Amino acid sequence: MNGAQAMVKCLEAEGIRTIFGIPGVAIAPFYDALYSSSIQHVLVRQEQAAGHAASGYARISRKPAVCVTSSGPGATNLITALATAYADSIPLIAITGQVSSELLGRDVFQEADMRGATESFVKYSYLVKNADDIPRIFREAFYIASTGRTGPVLIDIPCDVQKKELSGAFVYPQTVNIRGYKPKVSGNNPQMAKVVAAINRSKKPLICAGGGVILGSGEELVRRFCEKNQIPLVNTMMGIGVMPKNHPLYFGMLGNNGKPYANRAVAGSDLLIIVGARVADRAVPKPSALEDQVSIIHIDIDSAEIGKNLGPTIPLVGDVKNIFSALLEADIHINTDSWIEQLREIKAGTVDHRVFSDRLVNPMLFVQALSEKMDDDAIYVADVGQNQLWSADNYIMKNGRFLTTGGMGTMGYSIPAAIGARLASGKQVVAVCGDGAFQMSMFELATIADLQIPLKIIVVKNRYLGLVREHQEKVYDRRYSGVELHDYPKHSKLAEAYDMHYYEMNSNEDLNGTLDEFLADPKASLMVCSVDSANNTI
Amino acid sequence: MKGIFSVLVENKDGVLSQIAGLFARRGYNIDSLAVGETDHRDVSSMTIVSTGDQRTIDQIEKHLNKKLDVIKVRRLEESTSVALEMMLIKVSYLATTRSSLIELCNIYGAKIMGVTPKSMVIEVHASPDEISNFIELVRPFGILEVQRTGAIAMSKT
Repeated sequence: MNGAQAMVKCLEAEGIRTIFGIPGVAIAPFYDALYSSSIQHVLVRQEQAAGHAASGYARISRKPAVCVTSSGPGATNLITALATAYADSIPLIAITGQVSSELLGRDVFQEADMRGATESFVKYSYLVKNADDIPRIFREAFYIASTGRTGPVLIDIPCDVQKKELSGAFVYPQTVNIRGYKPKVSGNNPQMAKVVAAINRSKKPLICAGGGVILGSGEELVRRFCEKNQIPLVNTMMGIGVMPKNHPLYFGMLGNNGKPYANRAVAGSDLLIIVGARVADRAVPKPSALEDQVSIIHIDIDSAEIGKNLGPTIPLVGDVKNIFSALLEADIHINTDSWIEQLREIKAGTVDHRVFSDRLVNPMLFVQALSEKMDDDAIYVADVGQNQLWSADNYIMKNGRFLTTGGMGTMGYSIPAAIGARLASGKQVVAVCGDGAFQMSMFELATIADLQIPLKIIVVKNRYLGLVREHQEKVYDRRYSGVELHDYPKHSKLAEAYDMHYYEMNSNEDLNGTLDEFLADPKASLMVCSVDSANNTI
Repeated sequence: MKGIFSVLVENKDGVLSQIAGLFARRGYNIDSLAVGETDHRDVSSMTIVSTGDQRTIDQIEKHLNKKLDVIKVRRLEESTSVALEMMLIKVSYLATTRSSLIELCNIYGAKIMGVTPKSMVIEVHASPDEISNFIELVRPFGILEVQRTGAIAMSKT
């Protein structure tokens, strides 16, 4: 067996059924071995999309997903997707072909130092020098990607190593032993006791759930903990989905683009329990002010996140499932009735002062209608820009998933991620992007056509890079510099070119009828939802 | 404040650049960095000296621990550890100043490794602070060149 065959064997041993990539000479031995395997290969049209598609797949399957590229430009095209996955802690295995070992470092055709180039965007990386190391390296890579704080792992593998025969029989290791990597999973007992005592002392506790709760599959436990002790919850953008929107203890998304009542809940609480959140600038613009106002418990799997942006009163390192299983058993007796009553009054009294244009479709009503009409367990993939903020603000979470790139904010994420999400779930998947982001991934319509999957893609079109325009309007005195997209492309013709059904929404009346038809269409469909460029997010 | 870290790492290619990159990316200072093999060939030891506020020093420790090729991080306190550094320094002199320079070397236990009619190369082993003091003391003579290894450190216990 050669190295390439061993690589495929490793993926099979990990239960991988689908991978995303683009071949090239430096990865050709692997593709040859793949030809004899039952693993489905999805040929994307640009390598960045392979990474985003794997990201969508990983987030839905809750396991590491695999993307593959060749060396040089194929591999460097992947870097944005790795950075995106790293910022959102998505477990990926990125396999990149490399020039032959004896040519390394000589700047030959299509050589790029991928370990060096991705150093700050991956959890770990390997350059495979010996075919016999392939089983161990793959086993370690999957272990590293999927444990602790999850994240992308790069395996760069020279072409000659793929062709080399293994010196013995293929054995996939059962166990992993990395002496520098022992992820901590259960919370330290004295710290747990402090957390319980702090909760018992508090009169106005509030949980702030981040993406880590979902990555750690802790949604149900956190919800049960809130219900058992009547503790209200807010979330970050990445934490959307920890609680359904209609839950009586749910008080919205916090931050600059969140609900004012969520921010008032944070400011009014006496104990903020942050779970699996980075406390980054979009969610908490002034962490130092918060530190002075409230006691903070910060729970995270990654100890380096605790204290990075915010000095917590009580740090607690561990896995969300273990910690909340223990907290559910803990002796907590608090009465939060008046606190919840206060929050409900604040929420009911909050008036949205934003004014939306009468022209075309109201984007808030659009997101509300769309998410209401989508299947109960459907997946909504929001891209980046105004559409993302309207989506996060108005999405009606039922029992589905809301995927977006909160950390890196990578335009063009939604379409490839939706492909991955669909292949991992078979469920209804809707990608919502602006007309700018759409053009950063529109070539993936061909991948959708190849796969014959009934994806729903909605372009919220305002003929501008809307969020930059909004920024220029407010900060740069309406000097709209380099943001106008005009009326291109003609989406109806693109839909035709890729055998997709085409829909348009031009007024709020279309929110019924057209939207229903679009969602019920059994074929892949593209819809343009025209909105007035005067609409802003804040 | 000063942070002295004694770090055991896998002795593999790319590890030094990972550690140096971590400091560069997050804007942490490296005052000095010394690396060498330990008694196990597959393990290297690094002594990293950094300065920053308490939170920064804590973050450095956490981020070092997060690196998979880092086996162990120990934070050393100046009071409970021994730190040593070596320096080669080339100092110019005149006939009239030569004997006072030699006297300084004697006080510091420094060795004179090479002499020319106008300058001498002096080797000093001492704690990083003493080395800095020595530099200040010989500065009036005229410093031509300085090479410091960076501190290595070990806990006394």
